[in-house]
Amino acid sequence: MHSFSGRLLIAASVVLAAFLGLTGLILDRAFRDSAQSAVQDRLQAQVYMLLGVVDVDAFNRLTLPQALPEARFSTPDSGLYADVMDAQGNLVWRSPSLLGRALPFFPAVRDPGDVQFAPLEAADGDPLFLLAFTVSWEVAPNHYRLYTFRVAETQWNFLDQLWSFRRSLWGWLLAATGILLAVQGLILRWSLKPLRRVAAEVTEIESGQRTELSSDYPEELRPLTTNLNALVRQSRTLLERYRNALGDLAHSLKTPLAVLRSALENGATPEELRQALIEQVERMNRTVDYQLQRAAASGPVALSTPLPVAPLAHRILDSLTKVYAERALDLRCEIATNTVFYGDEGDLMEILGNLTDNACKWARRQVVVRAWPAEDDRRAELVLEVDDDGPGIPSEQAPLLLNRGQRADPTVAGHGIGLAVVRDLVEEVYYGRLEIGYGTLGGANIRARLRFQANEGRVVDHQ
Amino acid sequence: MRILIIEDEAPLLERVTAQLREQGYAVDTAADGRTGLYLGQEYPLDAAIVDLGLPDMPGIEVIRRWRAEGHKFPILILTARGRWQDKVEGLEAGADDYLVKPFYTEELLARLRALIRRTGGWTQAVLHCGPIALDTGAQQVTLDGQPVEVTAYEYKLLEYLMLHAGTVISKTELTEHLYQEDEDRDSNVLEVLVGRLRRKLDPDRTLNPIETLRGRGYRFRLERAAG
Repeated sequence: MHSFSGRLLIAASVVLAAFLGLTGLILDRAFRDSAQSAVQDRLQAQVYMLLGVVDVDAFNRLTLPQALPEARFSTPDSGLYADVMDAQGNLVWRSPSLLGRALPFFPAVRDPGDVQFAPLEAADGDPLFLLAFTVSWEVAPNHYRLYTFRVAETQWNFLDQLWSFRRSLWGWLLAATGILLAVQGLILRWSLKPLRRVAAEVTEIESGQRTELSSDYPEELRPLTTNLNALVRQSRTLLERYRNALGDLAHSLKTPLAVLRSALENGATPEELRQALIEQVERMNRTVDYQLQRAAASGPVALSTPLPVAPLAHRILDSLTKVYAERALDLRCEIATNTVFYGDEGDLMEILGNLTDNACKWARRQVVVRAWPAEDDRRAELVLEVDDDGPGIPSEQAPLLLNRGQRADPTVAGHGIGLAVVRDLVEEVYYGRLEIGYGTLGGANIRARLRFQANEGRVVDHQ
Repeated sequence: MRILIIEDEAPLLERVTAQLREQGYAVDTAADGRTGLYLGQEYPLDAAIVDLGLPDMPGIEVIRRWRAEGHKFPILILTARGRWQDKVEGLEAGADDYLVKPFYTEELLARLRALIRRTGGWTQAVLHCGPIALDTGAQQVTLDGQPVEVTAYEYKLLEYLMLHAGTVISKTELTEHLYQEDEDRDSNVLEVLVGRLRRKLDPDRTLNPIETLRGRGYRFRLERAAG
């Protein structure tokens, strides 16, 4: 079953069928029982009527008059029969309606006052209801005899009644089921309408007709649509970033290529060519490195779980302790335990790794990494700060360091791009700011302020 | 110094191998993870250079296995991806330093020398023992500040002895760490080299920097200078 309506319809139908079926069965049973007891009452009344007209003849025998109050006893095959047996089971009297028939032998004579009632079949297959009533009759003073009065009626009447009841009962029940299912189908269609709308809107987003899902969805769907919107926004930002990065890369490779070409065309000496090659290869390498690291950034991950900052910072500090083992640096972490980052783990590592590595390069003995959560205008923020006790960075040099591909430490290959990469990550990907200043240890203080998208559910949930 | 390089990119492997040999290192090479793992398990290495992206078995896995088996030689990882996640993962697996490709050979050599020194317990690039100083960067030896002329082999021998100053080093260990597989491993050559070093470093026979322990090997017996 791959559709909600299908599932709901099947479930509801099963429940409805079970419920209505059971109701039908109970009603049927109740009707049958009450109809049967009505028959029993009627037969009992007939017995009393017969008892009323019984007489005793001169030989102390029981007799009944020729003309009975109930005409059907007198009409053959009328459907109402009666007979009377004595204690030995001999027939003492039979109603004229029993002409050419006999009541099935039932029941045996019991004690006086006993009533027995049962549906039975006559010899010719007619279904009958039979009631037997045993009485003790005073035929003479202080002389009693047991007689069993039996009255029978065909079931045809009863069965007709039963079937007509059943017909209308099940007819109505079926009609009710149909109507209920139809109503339920309509309700379903109505409640699932927003889902169909989401699907339609997503298709529209795919085809570029709209940029986001609308916001007027039912409460239950809103987390889904909000998150979908976040995903859509993220993928759009990513796409834009990739496009920009590709453009940047192509452009930044053009300059060294142009220099090389002009060197070729101007008929430079082999030595000059060699020099130009060395310079431009280095430049291209730096560009590629920088763009690669930029491209690796994932950005704030929509729907991301909060990532605790402290364990990650410790991992980086442990790693750097190893790398700078010779210099026996004092690397410390001052991070509140509840400090979290919303985004890709790799990005946070990139930011912390580059900042800390940079600080280690310049530090004399000490580097401190700090992080704390902040909130601004209902947006979650994270502040990362790295202090060292090195010479510090003069304010006029700071912008230079942050420039693309500018090398912070020209003597150590491949690392100068660190700060620029961090700046890009912080400012372009996490909408924050990177500031360079002087710290409490006397050296440089680099502070990154990251801002996370205010995604209602996210910020509120994890604060 | 015996170095293992595991690198699947043939031109790079050749270049680095040639440059290391030029510097007097004995170099073993492997182009895939499994071979590299085996060489590291079997050979007495002074350091290993491991590329992270290897066929057969990732470099990280090779490093993890070595460390799990208790091999202590320093490891330098090479990685084309400069991501911190990769660096941290490599260092956590047991590597001691990393280098991002492409790199300058000078830098590789400097890092390697630093790692080997660190393993010997030295923190400075110049090893000072009494009046003798050995500059691992410039590969120069001085006695009381005066340069001493040594051949490449003599330098290698002295460097190894001084890096492990204070410990007894057997002749087998010396040959294993100093010579390439295919080189002549006659132990007489070693004795001759030690003799020449003694004459150059201790012309008036008062210092006796290298002592011979009969049947056990050699020991550089001068105290390391602090720092």
